[in-house]
This record gives sequence, C-alpha cells and structure tokens, in this order.
Amino acid sequence: MGKLGKKARKFAKKNLQSVLKRKRKLKSTFKKRASKKDEHDAAEDEGDALELSNGRNPEGGDMEDTSLDAIFGEDDGDLSGDDSESDGYLSEDSSCTYAENGREDYLEDSSNGSALKVQNREIHLDLAKKTKKLLRLKEKDLEFAKFLESYENDLRPFRNKEIYSDEDETTNEGMQSNEGKVLTISAIQCWSRLVKEQHSLPALTSLVNAYRAACHYGSKSTSVSDADSCYRIQNTETFCQILMFMLREGDNMFRGQLGISSSNCRKETISTLKNSPKWKALRPLIKSYLRSCLFLLNQVTEHEILAFSIAHLRASVIYFAAFPPLLHRLIKIAVHLWATGGGTLSSHSFLIIKDLASVFSSSCFDTCLVKTYKAFIGHCQFMDSGLLKHIQYLRKSLVELCSHDVQKSSSKAMICIKQLAKILQQGLRTKQKEALTKICSWQYTNCIDLWVMFIAENMRDYDLQPLLYVVVQMINGVALLFPGPRYLPLRIKCIQWLNSLSSSSGIFIPVASLVLDVLEYTVGKESGKHGKAFTFSSAVKLPKYWLKSQNFQEACVSSTIELLSVHFSQWSYHISFPEVATIPLIHLRKFHEITTIEKFRRMVKRFIDQVEQNREFVQKKRDEVAFSPKDQQSVELFLQLEKHNGNSPFTQYYRSIISNAASRNLFGMER
Amino acid sequence: MGKKSQKQKIVLPPELPPEIAEDEIEVSDEDLQFVKQNSDYAVGFSRLDTQSITKHVTRVADVKEDALEALYEKRLKKKTLQKEKEESGVRVDPVDALPVKTLDGKLYYRTLEKKSRLSGIGVEETGEDDKDDGGATGVVKLTKAERRAKLKKQKKETKKLGKELDKAEELQQTPQAAVLAEVKEDLTAEEAFESKKQKLAELGMALLEDPESNIKSLKEMLQISKDNDHAIVKLGVLSLLAVFKDIIPGYRIRLPTEKELEMKVSKAVKKTRFYESTLLSTYKAYLQKLIVLENKPSFQHVAIRCMCSLLDAVPHFNFRGSLLVAVVRNIGSSDDVVRKLCCATIKSLFTNEGKHGGEATVEAVRLIAGLVKAQNCQLHPDSIEVFLFLSFDDDLRRPEKTNEVNRVKSKKNRKRKNLEEPSQLPDRKKSRQELMTKMREEVTADYKAVTFTPDAMEKRRMQSETLSAVFETYFRILKHSVQPYAASHEEIASPVSGASAAHPLLAPCLKGLGKFSHLIDLDFMGDLMNFLRKLASGGSNLGNSSQKDFNSFTVSERLQCCIVAFKVMRSNLDALNVDLQDFFVQLYNLILEYKPGRDQGGVLAEALKMMLCDDRQHDMQKAAAFVKRLATFSLCFGSAESMSALVTLRHLLQKNIKCRNLLENDAGGGSVSGTIAKYQPYASDPNLSGALASVLWELNLLFKHYHSAVSAMASSISSISTANNQVYLSTLTPQQAFLDLSLEGESFNPSDSLKLKSKRKRGSGSSGSATSEPTPDTGSIDEDEVRKKLSAHFMLLRDIKENERLRGELDRTTLYLRLYEKYKTQKKKGRTKSK
Repeated sequence: MGKLGKKARKFAKKNLQSVLKRKRKLKSTFKKRASKKDEHDAAEDEGDALELSNGRNPEGGDMEDTSLDAIFGEDDGDLSGDDSESDGYLSEDSSCTYAENGREDYLEDSSNGSALKVQNREIHLDLAKKTKKLLRLKEKDLEFAKFLESYENDLRPFRNKEIYSDEDETTNEGMQSNEGKVLTISAIQCWSRLVKEQHSLPALTSLVNAYRAACHYGSKSTSVSDADSCYRIQNTETFCQILMFMLREGDNMFRGQLGISSSNCRKETISTLKNSPKWKALRPLIKSYLRSCLFLLNQVTEHEILAFSIAHLRASVIYFAAFPPLLHRLIKIAVHLWATGGGTLSSHSFLIIKDLASVFSSSCFDTCLVKTYKAFIGHCQFMDSGLLKHIQYLRKSLVELCSHDVQKSSSKAMICIKQLAKILQQGLRTKQKEALTKICSWQYTNCIDLWVMFIAENMRDYDLQPLLYVVVQMINGVALLFPGPRYLPLRIKCIQWLNSLSSSSGIFIPVASLVLDVLEYTVGKESGKHGKAFTFSSAVKLPKYWLKSQNFQEACVSSTIELLSVHFSQWSYHISFPEVATIPLIHLRKFHEITTIEKFRRMVKRFIDQVEQNREFVQKKRDEVAFSPKDQQSVELFLQLEKHNGNSPFTQYYRSIISNAASRNLFGMER
Repeated sequence: MGKKSQKQKIVLPPELPPEIAEDEIEVSDEDLQFVKQNSDYAVGFSRLDTQSITKHVTRVADVKEDALEALYEKRLKKKTLQKEKEESGVRVDPVDALPVKTLDGKLYYRTLEKKSRLSGIGVEETGEDDKDDGGATGVVKLTKAERRAKLKKQKKETKKLGKELDKAEELQQTPQAAVLAEVKEDLTAEEAFESKKQKLAELGMALLEDPESNIKSLKEMLQISKDNDHAIVKLGVLSLLAVFKDIIPGYRIRLPTEKELEMKVSKAVKKTRFYESTLLSTYKAYLQKLIVLENKPSFQHVAIRCMCSLLDAVPHFNFRGSLLVAVVRNIGSSDDVVRKLCCATIKSLFTNEGKHGGEATVEAVRLIAGLVKAQNCQLHPDSIEVFLFLSFDDDLRRPEKTNEVNRVKSKKNRKRKNLEEPSQLPDRKKSRQELMTKMREEVTADYKAVTFTPDAMEKRRMQSETLSAVFETYFRILKHSVQPYAASHEEIASPVSGASAAHPLLAPCLKGLGKFSHLIDLDFMGDLMNFLRKLASGGSNLGNSSQKDFNSFTVSERLQCCIVAFKVMRSNLDALNVDLQDFFVQLYNLILEYKPGRDQGGVLAEALKMMLCDDRQHDMQKAAAFVKRLATFSLCFGSAESMSALVTLRHLLQKNIKCRNLLENDAGGGSVSGTIAKYQPYASDPNLSGALASVLWELNLLFKHYHSAVSAMASSISSISTANNQVYLSTLTPQQAFLDLSLEGESFNPSDSLKLKSKRKRGSGSSGSATSEPTPDTGSIDEDEVRKKLSAHFMLLRDIKENERLRGELDRTTLYLRLYEKYKTQKKKGRTKSK
C-alpha cells in the first residue's frame, strides 16, 4: 500500500497524521520515495528561485530570462479548462445491469492488518458503542428521539447544499441514479464475455462505466456522490479485474467495434471515421475511457501500475486525435512520468511521447519537444552518480525524439543554443559571479551535452553546420571562461564534446591547446598525499583540497593522454598529421623532462613513442606522393586504404587508450 | 545706571571716558529710546563688570593699530559665542529658566523647541550682521570698523563673565535640574549636528555669493571642520573644498613683502591684500588639515578626494607642491578607490597642461620617479601607467633645438654687438640704454611670471626634464627586472604579496617604452636593447637558471619586450646597428609557449604584426621557418589565434616569393632548400629549421576547420600562385583578425546559412528508427505484480474511504449524545420553570 494517490494523500495529511508516522517507521520504502519527492520539489523551488533572482538583475534585462527553464514561454494555460467537461457516467440499459445486493462487511478481505485498518477498527468499535448508547437513550426518552429527528431534518438540507456547492462538475450528472449498484466480479466477467463474443454495445457501456468508477474510486469529492452512486466496487478482485481487463482489452474492444485493425495507427483513420454512425455511438464511450485512464494516471503513484497502464494506453493513442484537450493532458502526464519516473516507466512514457510525436501533427511534435526539453532542464540541475544514469537516459531519449524530425528540432535547437550562448556571452563580457555560476552548473553543461549529442547524431545526414559552429564557439568560450585547475572536469567535458563533434562531422576542431592546458595544471605543484577517491563524472568543479593530491595529477595526465588520443586517432591517417602532433609533442617532451613521478614519465613516454611512430609513418608515406596541397582530391584519398585496414600499432594503441578510458569512466561511475 | 555709562563708552572712541559720577551723566532722550529699542543688547549688558571691561577696552585701545588683523581673526571665533550670548540675553528669565551649559560652551534652555527655533533665527541675524559689518562699515569707515571690533571684544568679555556666572549658578541648581540637563544633552546632540550642518551650508552659500566680503567665514568653516564629530568634519572639509574650488583665483597669490607692506596703499589694494592673505592662510591651514586627515583611516577617502579635486581644479595655485606630494604618495595605494582617484588626477594633470603650464607635470613625474625608486619598483602597475598619458610635443623637441642654437647664437651676436656698440656710445646713453633693457627684462619677467604661457625654451626645458625622469623610471624598472631574481626575491615577497606578478611595473613600463620609443636618447639605446634581449629570453641568461626563475616572466611580457625592441628600432629609423636576430629566435619559440587563457592573444598578434608583417628585410630561410611554424601553430589553437597567424602567414608568402615553394610539393625539396635538406620541426632557431624543404600540408586540414573564416583563409593562401608576383597586399592586420574572431566579441550568430540549412538535406529522413533502443515490450511488466499493487491500492483507497465514513458517523453520534445532555438540562430547567 506504500504510495498513495493525490487525493488519498491529502486525506491522509488531514486525518491520519499519527498513522502516517507509524507507517513511515514501518515502511522504509515509502520514506525513500517521499524524500526523493521532496528533493525534487526542492529542486523545482530552487529553479524558481533562480528564475526570480535572474529577473531582478536590472542590467541584464532580457538577457536574463535566459535562465534556462524560461525558454519557449508558458503554454500550459489552455489545459486547465477541459477538466470540467463532463465525462462521466453513461446511461446504460437496465437489461444488462447485473445487480446484486448484499453488502459484505468490508473487513472480509482484510487479510493484512495495516495501521489504517487498526485505526478503522478502533473507530468502528467506538462507533458501535456510541450508537448503542444513543439507541438506548432514544428508547428511554421518546421525546428526545423526536427532538433529534427534527434536528436532523433541520440539518439535512443545509448539508446537502454544502455538497452541491462543492461539486459543481458532478451535480448535473451524479445525482440521477442515486441508488448504488454493487459491482461484482461475476458481473464484469459477464459483461466482458458479452462484449467479446457479441460486440454488445450496452455491455461495453457498462464496462466503461465500471472502469470509470474504478478509476475514480477513492478520489474524494467526485467519488462520494458520483462514482460510488453508480457503482460500488465490491472487493479487491473486482477492482483489479475491471482495471486490468479494461486496460488490456479496452483498445481491442473499441477497435473491434469500430472495425479498425490493431496495427493501424494513423490518425487519419479516426478523422475518416468521424462521420460514421458507429463513431458517433462509440465516441462518448471512448472519451470516457480515455479520461478515466488519464485520471488513473494522475491518481496513482505506484510505478508498476503507471507503467502498465501507460504501456497499454499506448495502443489507444490514435483515439486522442478526436480529443485534443485530452491529448494535451496526455502529453503533460507522459512528459512528467518520463522525467520523474525511472526505468520502465520512463521508457514507456517516452514511447508514448514518441508515438504521439510521430502520429500526430507537427504542432504536437513541437509541444512534445518543448515539454520534454523543459522537463529535461528541470531535472538536470543536480547530479550524483545515481541520478547520472537517469539523466543520461533522458538525454538519449530526447535526442532520439529530436532526431525524429531534424528540421523542426534543429530550429528549436538553434533557439536553445542561442539562449545558452547569450548566457555565456554575458559571462564573457561581465565576468559576473552570477553568470559564471550559471554557466558552471549541471543544467548548463547538460544542455550543451544534449545539443552536442543531437548534432553528433544527425551531422552525417543533415547539414547542421551553423549549429555546429555556434556550439563549438560556445564550448570554446566555456573552456576559456574557466581556465583554473579547479574546473578540470568541465574542461575535460568541453574537450570531449569537441572531440565527439569533430569525429561525427569530420570537421577539424583544434583541441590541442585546450588539452595542453590540462597538462600544465600539474606543473609546479608539489605532489601531496593520495587524496580521497573522487568521482569525476558527478562534478563540474573540483573541491580545493583535491588539487594538491596525487589523484588530481594523475587525472590530469591520464586525461591529457586520453583526449589527445581521441584527437590524434581521428587524424592519424591525415596527410598533415605530423604537423598536428608537433606542438603537443614538444609540450609532452617538456613535461617528460620536468616531471619526477615515474608513473607519469612512463605513461607520457609511451604515448610520445606511439605518436612519433605515427608521425614517421605518415611522413614517410607523404614524402612519396607527388601531389601538392592544392590537389585536395588526392589529399582526401591519401592513406584511405590504410585507414580502413587500420591495424597499425599506433591505431591499436589509441584504441586501447580510448577503451581504457571508457571502462575507467564506467568504473568511476559505479563507484 | 551702569547701562548708560556703557552706552557712552561704546559711542565714544577709543579712550575711556573720564570717571564721572553716575548722577552727573546726562541721559538724552535718544539714548533712552535706543536702549529701549535694543533691549536685547541692553539686557546683555546689564551683567557687565565695569571694572574688567574698562581694563580690556584700554588694552584694546593700546594695540588696536597693529593688531587690527588679529582682531579680525579673533572676531570669527567670537561671533559664535557672541551670538549665543545675545540669545541668552533674550532668553534668560531669571525666575525659572536658568541656562545649562555643556562642555563645549553651548547654552541650553529648558524650553527646547523654542530654543531651536530661535537659534535658527539667531544665526540668520548674525549672518546679516556680518554682512553689514564687513560690507558697510568696513568699506566706508575704518574707524567704525575698529569700533565694531572693540564692541566685539567687549562682548567677548561679557560672555566670559556670563560663563562664570552660569557656572556659579549651575552649581546652585537643584538636582532635578541636573537630571533634566542630562536628558537634554542627549536630545540636543542631534540638534547640534543639525545646526552645525546648517551653519556650514549658510557660510558656504554666503562665501559663494560674495567671497570678498565674507572671506572671513572661511576660518569659521575651518573651525567647524575641526569638530569631534566625524560626519561634521567630513561635511566641513567637503564644503570647504567646494568653496575653495569656486573662489580660488586664476593666478598665483604672491604675498606682499615687508617692504611692500610698509608702503602706503589705497584702500582697495589693502582690501585685496587682506582678502588674498586670508584666503591663502586658510587654504594653507586647510591643506594641512587634509594632510593630517589623510593619515587617519576613517578620513582617508575624503581627504584624498578633496586633494585630488583641488589638484585637478586649481593646479596653478599656491601649495601645489604639497598637494602633489600627497597625491603621488597614494598613487600606488592598495586601496582601489584611492588609487583610481589619484591616477585619474595625475592623468588629468598630464592631459590638461594648459591649466598649470606644464610645471606640475614635471613635478609629478619627478615625484613618481622618486616613489618608484623608494619603493624598489614594487608598486601597483597603475602608478606607472599614468606616464602613458604624457604628451610630448614633437615639434617642440626637434626644430626647437636648432632654434635654440640659433637663438643662443643670435644672443651671443647681440651681446657681442652690445659689447661693441656701447663702447662707441657715450656713457650717459649707455647707462640709459642699460636701464631700459633692464626695465624691459624686468617687465618681461613679470609678464612671464603672471601669464601661464611659458615660452618655448621654458617648455622645452620642462619637457626634457619630464622625459629624463620618465626614462629614468623606466630604466630603473628594467634594471630591477633584469637583476638576478633570487637576490631581490626574499625582500619582495613580504611587502608586496598582493602584486599579481613578480614584476608589477614591467608591463606598463614596456608599454610606455613602446609609446615613447621615438624619444629615447640614442646613448641609452644599446643598454636598452641589452635589457630587452635579456628579458625576452625569459631571464634564462641570468646567472641562476632554476625552473622558477625561468617562469618569472610571462609570455606576454616577453613578447612585449620583442615588440618594444622593434618599435624602438623602427622609430629611430633603424639607425642603430643592432642585431635583432635574437628577438626573432625568441618569437619563434614563444609562439609555442603561448597559452590562450593565460596570455594575451592581442599581444601575440601585435608581435606578429610588428616583427613579421612590418619587417622589411627578410631572410628567406627565416621567413620560411616562420611560415611553417605559424601554419603548425594554427592547427593547435583557437580560431582567433589561428586567424592572426594565417594572416601573417599570407603576408609573408606574399612578400617572399621563394617561400611560396612551400605550397608546392616539389620533389626532392628543390634547389632552394638551402643547406639543411630536411625540415626540423623541433629546432629552436628559425634559421636552422630547414623549413624551405617542407610542404604546407597543414592547409589541407585547415580547409576542414570548423570556422568558415579560417577555412576560407586557408584556401586563399593555397591559391597564392608561385608564378606571378601579386601586388595586392591585404590590409587586414593580425591584430584586427584576432579581434574579429576572439570569443569575447563573438555574437554566436551563425552569420550565413541558418535558413538554407534544412533544405540542403543530404539524407532522407531515414534515421528515425535506426537509433531507437530496444523497445520495452508491454509484456515485460509483470501482470501479477500489477495486480498485487492494484489490490493494495484498492485496499488503501477503501480503507481511507471507510475511515472517512466512520469518522463522520462517529462525529455525528457523539454530537447527538452531546445534544442529549443539553436537551436533558434544558428539559430540567423547563420543568423547574413550569413548576
């Protein structure tokens, strides 16, 4: 019972303080979840605060709403309206109602005594005692009984009024069938059989109503007078049955009724159907079904249920074409689940988002993209090794979504990147602390990371040169803005981005000077004791104490070699490789002379040897050719064959270094 | 009838009236009337001790002739006291309100509100009185002024007496009054501040309105600014600053000599003299005050601000020297505000020489030179940077030299003539002529002294002095930098720990040398070049060569040295026969040591421009080496650096036809390859690198550069043909190229094809599904698990609902039970009532 629905939680807060406390003690899982939630809330708060503080800066002006989340403006406003639209209960044929009286005691299936139950039982006992007493009094004193009756009569209209005023959306529909029908498992089975075998519409209606009741079960205001009044769910089994059945089979049933094949998921099918009588008959049913599903998604916090329902809802995505407000709600919910949930829930939500983006019109793609991007920004402000994987997943899926329609998303990307660039520009010009902290943050780096990945992904197929140019300049700017050794992780990230952009696009991006800076950090520092282990991947800025440790030096040297290896391996067969390597080699040699630590000497020496070998190789081949630099075609062909074979020792060396680095990073992540 | 006698005394100057019995004195009606009308005064006089007054009046009478000025001075002080005295006269009500005197001599009354109101009026009144005194009587009748002075003296005495009286009375006061007084003191502290402030404002306004007649108020203001209250001191000092800035005349005040003082002069002259001397003495006192305040940390900013604005506004006026000393002393201050102020002032001195005729410039430069010497070159860079704002008149310098020679010659000639001529003339005529020339000289000298347009010779003298001081400073700094570092290291480390570099002054010094390179004396040139060479080589030639020393000069500084060396050479028309080869070697290696974040790219670009683009004589081998190195360089560094390197490279290629061989893959290196057959990329000497044998393969990679400008430049370089000699030289300098592409100026707007982009699609939209991850199947979710969770969910919901319902019911029943209680009591009551 760990997690509660929204309304349930509200109730719990109101009435069950002590119980909750006890429960928390009992269930550590709940605690964890709650704390995570809190943390998330805090993060959002902080984001807001960030935005606020940005707004205050007078000089920055419009520069400042550059706070990353502010992009694309607010477009959620239109979504609130559709909630009040009547969805509800569908009138049904009495022929199909399978009513059954008999109200079992609810305690019947309470196999496990939870805290709530204990409390309920206590209250129940108390109640019983008091009613007994009251009855006795009534018997004893008839006058009082009369008085009481009159009092009650006085009270009732007032109370009813209260209820009506509270529930404006349910008044019109809820009260019509005040007599409660109890839903049992046999009824459901009966209906489902009817629907499956005879395609009976009335049975389907009943099912949908039952499903609605189940979805709304327990949700406070609506349930009291509305959902409960039409169907009262008998027990757990019924509840499960109706939900599972509808989720699993709902789509199939509707398709069967409409005559759409299950593989057909083009939205045009719906629009063509729109005028057919069948559609007209089914429309309210479908709408009710979808609404109930969305309601359920909003209510439940249990991962498994969410994942299950969203996975099954995915099949019915096409119906949303007929109900745009519902579509928006679905997007909102899916994006939220995608960003906050983990594992399968995230991936299922993402699948739905992707389906929506591909099935529906381009505007839907836009909203999906914008919403996901915003959610991504909102969720990548903090980083620890646990969160890292999730964020990586988010990034990857977002890139996938973007790749769906590169034209559209690249224009969006341009807007986002320009916004990032604006922040950077401000930082470069003013060097204000505020701007600097904004740049040196996870949010900013994750955004760059996202777009770098996007460009790298699509560079081969599309011409993203302008985007690439801006991003490269931006990365260079970031590297320039944070030169100190404390920003080593950021610097390494920058170079990695440049490398990946370069290797995916085949465009030359010089990184040597940036890398050699990293090497410089170690020079002149006395090597201290071994520092604490520190995970690089979850930091943009290093703690000060770490700078003096040997770990830091080691990180510097090894990352220098790794980054240079990536750079060199890309151009190792290019005709100008010897020149590319010249200056780095000079610096490395110098370092080799200076450093006193044997380990570094060995590492650097080996690297120098390999690069030299590479140099010699290209030089030798180059001396043999007859063409001049002007002859670009011949230059392009130079050593292409060898490159494809790619088994020279230095290539292998580069590869081993790179794979080592990758595994080391993985290892570091796990640590 | 003491009143009357005093009245008489006032009217009758200067001797005491003969002792007359009171009865015998005739009191005219006018007198009576006057006394009645001016009862304010009269009341004050009622307490006078005739004896002491008499004594004092006689004394004053004795000294009055010589001590007139002194009296005037004293009067200022008196005035405040007197005013209060007057008030006391007004306010004293012998029955209940005895004044309370605070330590600083103020009188306070129990009726506080009234007092404050009245005091304001009193101030105004006295202000008017002052005007009347100074304006009317002072000019019209000296004797009257004297009389007034005497009157004031008297009043002072009465005041003193009054004080004594007060004290005596105070002692007798009841304890209740003492407590009251304490409270009042607290209350009045603020009021005192307010009144002082107001007074300052009024005095200042009066001074600005009519400085001549109100000049005495200056002293008063100065007096106020000696207050104990910090805020008042600051206010006083600042308002004095405003006043002085306004009233200081456009000339230098020369105090009259004793001889001149003895001479009889007109009243107007006397008045002016008085005005000037007062102004000068107050100004002096004010400056002294400022200098004292400057040493107090809490007043430092105010004092410095005052001095700076004074120096800025009136550099021609007296006491400039002390102002300059104080300002220059703070020019290297570690306090940013102070330093900025001082530097700005000195700069404005340098740039607005018209205000002071250039003398202040010389003094300031000398003082700074002295400061640098005293501080052993450990100052803030700003303090030397002000030199950059010096302007030296070139026209004055060179042509004037010949002029001067001419003039000297002509003078000599004239002298000779003079010598010759007078011998022929009669003595009388000669003496007369001499007299005339003497007169003329005197007149011109006076004229010069008065006007601020010193003649060319004077100017030249000052300029050369300035120059020599500037260069003395520069050389001192250079020498200091070149000194074996270790020797000075220890002593430096402690005092100037805040300085960014080990040689804080080197950078501005080099800048200055670059700017004034054309003014350097040829005699120094050799030494200068030696220094620069040593510095450019990074101090590696200096005795000790441990690692730390090697790093003691930044790349920027070393590049700057190279630049300065070339500038010096160029501006002296390459007249010197100095070998600049070393600098090329340095540059060749410095290019490699350059770091984008650490070193200033602009300096590198400037060095490239100065040394490679502008250099006329080029060794082919060297040029080729640089071409190769620059190409390699641009493969490793950011776009801005690459661009400036490529611009230089193109320049070199355009000028050196033979270097264009680098663009061709000439088998075997060709005939031009020189002595070294193979390219040595690691060589540190450009001449030994054998770069002519290499090929510029770098260009091929640069074609692929992400920055379109760089790749365009690369292709334009590769298209320079070997054959024809292109005349066209691009005007783009490396500096400009660097600035254009530097990230600080980057707008992050892809200039070109933002809209074209999406159309030039290469692939179709095929990439959609290729990247998708293994889709999680719907079956992957365990349905049993879901079922379980669902049932748990259901249970929970139902429990909650049930709980809600039960609670409701419980509440209701308890309510009913309670109702019953009520009902019962009511019924009982009813019953009792009915019974």
